[in-house]
Amino acid sequence: MLIINGSTDDAGHEDPGHPERPERLAAVLAGVEDLHLGDDLLAVAPYAASRSELVRVHESTYLDQLGAFCYEGGGDLDEDTYATYDSWSLAQYAAGAGLAVVREMRIRGDGVGFVAVRPPGHHALRDRAMGFCLLNNIAVTAAELTSLGERVLIIDWDVHHGNGTQAIFWEDPNVLYVSTHQWPLFPGSGAPFEIGGLNALGATVNLPLPPGATGDVLRQALEETAVPAIDEFKPTWVLVSAGFDAHRADPMADLALSSGDFAQMATFAASHAPAPGRIALFLEGGYDLAALRSSVNATLGSLLGDGVASENPTSGGPGADVVRSTRETRLAALRIAHDAGQ
Amino acid sequence: MKPIHTIAVGFDGSADSKVAVRWALTLARHYDAHVVVAHAVGLLGRFDAKNVAVELEESLLALCDECGLEHARARLEITDGDACSVMLRMAEPPISADLLVVGTRGQGAHAGLLLGSTSLELAEHSPIPLVIVPSS
Ligand SMILES: [Zn+2]
Repeated sequence: MLIINGSTDDAGHEDPGHPERPERLAAVLAGVEDLHLGDDLLAVAPYAASRSELVRVHESTYLDQLGAFCYEGGGDLDEDTYATYDSWSLAQYAAGAGLAVVREMRIRGDGVGFVAVRPPGHHALRDRAMGFCLLNNIAVTAAELTSLGERVLIIDWDVHHGNGTQAIFWEDPNVLYVSTHQWPLFPGSGAPFEIGGLNALGATVNLPLPPGATGDVLRQALEETAVPAIDEFKPTWVLVSAGFDAHRADPMADLALSSGDFAQMATFAASHAPAPGRIALFLEGGYDLAALRSSVNATLGSLLGDGVASENPTSGGPGADVVRSTRETRLAALRIAHDAGQ
Repeated sequence: MKPIHTIAVGFDGSADSKVAVRWALTLARHYDAHVVVAHAVGLLGRFDAKNVAVELEESLLALCDECGLEHARARLEITDGDACSVMLRMAEPPISADLLVVGTRGQGAHAGLLLGSTSLELAEHSPIPLVIVPSS
């Protein structure tokens, strides 16, 4: 069963000509409809994250300022990020959608969660909006899960490094953050030697990939460098920052993935969930509408066991050398940190 | 006081940021320092990054001439990221700047709000001295 957030009235968060636009969510929902799930689709009631749920990952003053900024009419928060009068309200619902979906999954002990919301979240920092993101949606849900004693694996396969999520959980040993991303590219962070803070050494895994990298290279990076960390971490929940801008058709970056690659990554992520009903995906980027629709369809189809991706997984791109050096750099950084701590 | 060898200044080509670059170049002459002129390429910036780089380079050479600083003492550093993160990175190796300089860009922020103001964000987070150069 697919458990998705209900009501996605996001039209108020729009800036004419900006790529992070309402049509994205319509394409995502079309990708869900293409699965023809019938009774196997459950939409949970919309829910706005409360102040106490948001302050787990955001500074109180930032929340006040963002709310005030929106109520005064909004505008540009930086060279990339906008907010409108409606954005504050919509962002609270976007942050609450993950909470609502995961609560339903916990009651049922089953299902695949999909949080289809705008604005996206993984660049949002504790005290600052950034990279089209206002509130860090996946972090709000991960923080709720850790407050309940869960150990949360976050896999972030958006083409951009999720600097906000990494920073929020930098010192948290109960969250393992694994990111695959193009490098160099915005936001510039996500080097292999970024391995987590002193209280959480090793709980951040960064897997940068060169432009043109294909699915085989990405899978190799995950197998060689992420799997040992995941096995050691033993997650009780898996959350995915599912951006689809690593697709070869996406205008925002230069990786060469297909919808079939996203399906395989979803299978990989699910294989690390310890039980049914313990994996939820959060929409992040993805700016080519056709690629977004087919990738969402392939991803969810593979998780529900009844999908056939319209594009084959890709192979033959550059990056095998980068994967090797990433692994070596990470191991060296862990050794140095370990020696320094003794 | 730590000697000033390297000054990093934010530059997006705007009139405000030119005032800051002029100030940094002039200071560099007095301190015999080098200037790293940092330009942040955001998510949207990638679409015209090549043209912008050419324009900024030309603009920087003209500003050097205006301030009497030899071209070799100032260089353009184009980096992926938002303006605030890119300036903070200038304080870290390998650049390890001794001083950050930025203009006062409002960027849509309302008076009194911290939101959206690179200079005020930097004032809160910068580990090294920061100069905010008024545009007037
Ligand atoms: Zn992205």
